[in-house]
Amino acid sequence: MAKVELIKLFKTYNKKIKALEDINLTIEDGQFFVLLGPSGAGKTTTLRCIAGLEKIDSGDVLFDDENITHDQPASRDVSFVFQQYSLYPHYTVYENLAFPLKSPMRKLPEEEIKNKVEKIAEMLKITNKLKNKATELSGGEMQRVAIGRALVREPNIYLMDEPLSSLDAKLRETLRVELKNIQLNLNATILYVTHDQAEATTLADKIGVLKEGKIVQIGTPEEIYENPNSIYVSQRLGSPKINILPGSLFKLNNIAKIGLRPENIELGNGPYEGKVISTENLGSETVVAINFQDNEILASIQGIYKSSINEKINFDINTNKVLKFDNGDQRIYER
Amino acid sequence: MDTSRSYLEPSSFSKKMAAAIIIVYAVITLIPISWMVMTSFKNVDSAISYPPEVLFEPSLEGYVNLFTNRSRQSQEYLDSLPPPENWYEELVRSREMVITGPSKFLGRYSNSMIIGFGSTFASVFLGALAAYAFSRFRVPLKDDLLFFILSTRMFPPIAVAVPIFIMYRKLGLGDTHLGMIILYTVVNLSLAVWLLKGFMDEIPKEYEEAAMIDGYSRLQAFFKVVLPQAMTGIAATAIFCMIFSWNEYAFAVLLTQFNAQTAPPFIPTIIGEGGLDWPAIGAGTTLFLLPVMIFTIILRKHLLRGITFGAVRK
Repeated sequence: MAKVELIKLFKTYNKKIKALEDINLTIEDGQFFVLLGPSGAGKTTTLRCIAGLEKIDSGDVLFDDENITHDQPASRDVSFVFQQYSLYPHYTVYENLAFPLKSPMRKLPEEEIKNKVEKIAEMLKITNKLKNKATELSGGEMQRVAIGRALVREPNIYLMDEPLSSLDAKLRETLRVELKNIQLNLNATILYVTHDQAEATTLADKIGVLKEGKIVQIGTPEEIYENPNSIYVSQRLGSPKINILPGSLFKLNNIAKIGLRPENIELGNGPYEGKVISTENLGSETVVAINFQDNEILASIQGIYKSSINEKINFDINTNKVLKFDNGDQRIYER
Repeated sequence: MDTSRSYLEPSSFSKKMAAAIIIVYAVITLIPISWMVMTSFKNVDSAISYPPEVLFEPSLEGYVNLFTNRSRQSQEYLDSLPPPENWYEELVRSREMVITGPSKFLGRYSNSMIIGFGSTFASVFLGALAAYAFSRFRVPLKDDLLFFILSTRMFPPIAVAVPIFIMYRKLGLGDTHLGMIILYTVVNLSLAVWLLKGFMDEIPKEYEEAAMIDGYSRLQAFFKVVLPQAMTGIAATAIFCMIFSWNEYAFAVLLTQFNAQTAPPFIPTIIGEGGLDWPAIGAGTTLFLLPVMIFTIILRKHLLRGITFGAVRK
């Protein structure tokens, strides 16, 4: 495993479309780094540049301080889990898992390959499928084989491009937990791309938020959640979504916009009065949508909260937790 | 009435109709071929008898005549010879002839094999490499090049017979295996590139990207991952190329005489005594049919597998 650094990475497609602009980031050895952003933000491009599948316009890629910007993909020794499981369909599961170990870069003895493949198959619970053709698997099994093919060796870094996005919700949760355990056991360096905030917060040691090819903030999941530097970042995490409201609504007249997390609103008493638009009972919490002076505000309340539509409701906000933003949607920090 | 079928499935009546049409079509196309095979097992007389014989006593005379040169001898001379050593000598002697040596057929046949398979291999191999490059890389003037490649097919190949004849004489390629392999490869290559490019475009580039990350060079990834997946296209292309170079007649007549003559210009020269030796010609064409048939049957399983493949992959 290695430390991976990207320095001033620029990438354009067809000389016109800017994909990455001035990407600087460091992934420490053994770190689980998640790149978060909507589609088109440049997440996948960043992975492909590290893997060597895309030529970068300028900038450097360093593995353990060694510059590998111009190396071929094969000699970079990284492993990649693609979004669509790209198993080799003409091979069996065993052959798929053994494929990277048989490459001319490694050429391990047959016995060692067998041990490694069997170990990884057991870890991912696909031992009974080893003899199957790659096409004879369910979606979940295919993706586990694809992850297995990446984990079967110890590369400089594991690159994972939304590996769980094509799976159903239940399997996604199981694999997410497994993946975190595997990473902790192997002390692996992983760069993981997702737009799923649950994956980002549960897996990441550090999150980098991408916007239109630029990194706008890097931090731990807690920092990104509690201390975002812009409205864009604040909207990346949190469910239900953060409320972005004009400051004047809460008599903060010199502040353009405020961000208010739904859990920082208390219902029942308080100086503000609105009307209930809808309630959504999620079991452990209830999301109440309130119309307050023609703005919709989402509040989330522990447990089950009963109220009827158009009922008048009083609420208060936790002013310490209010995030303040300027006209350019950037955070205003208090001194 | 069968009511359990889904609306998308054809009715049993239309299935039966389809089967009937296919059987009729198969019978029509198979009549000349089966007549040819039957002729090859007739003797010289029953081959030209009128009305034509459908039931006849099979004989291997055609095959013996195809593979041997014979000369007619007087009965006294034949009587003076030691008894025939094997069945085909006996057969020839019963026609008052002796075998003077093997015919040229085997040599011509193996020329056809060498040139046919050689040019098929070269067309598919070069075609696959070119198709891969056109499919994956940013080739300058890609569309113009592809059109240029296609344009070599816009006239019948024989239209350039004279310049090729002169070129081949100057280059010393006339009547050589290499010359014929090159010629047929050139003719087939445009077809191979275009057909294979279509198949290569269908293969997601993620496969070879995965292989390159797994530690293989692009060329190794091409052979290990792309080619096996393009098997359907390769099989189809190989069959087309094989059929063309195997059957080609005009260039073979023009450019080959002794050393590299293929079977097509040779078979019509099998002339018997007092008329064409139809059983021998039938035998020649029957044997000529076999390699293409076997080749197609072997590759057919890849064609079929290819069809189901596309359905499974997302």
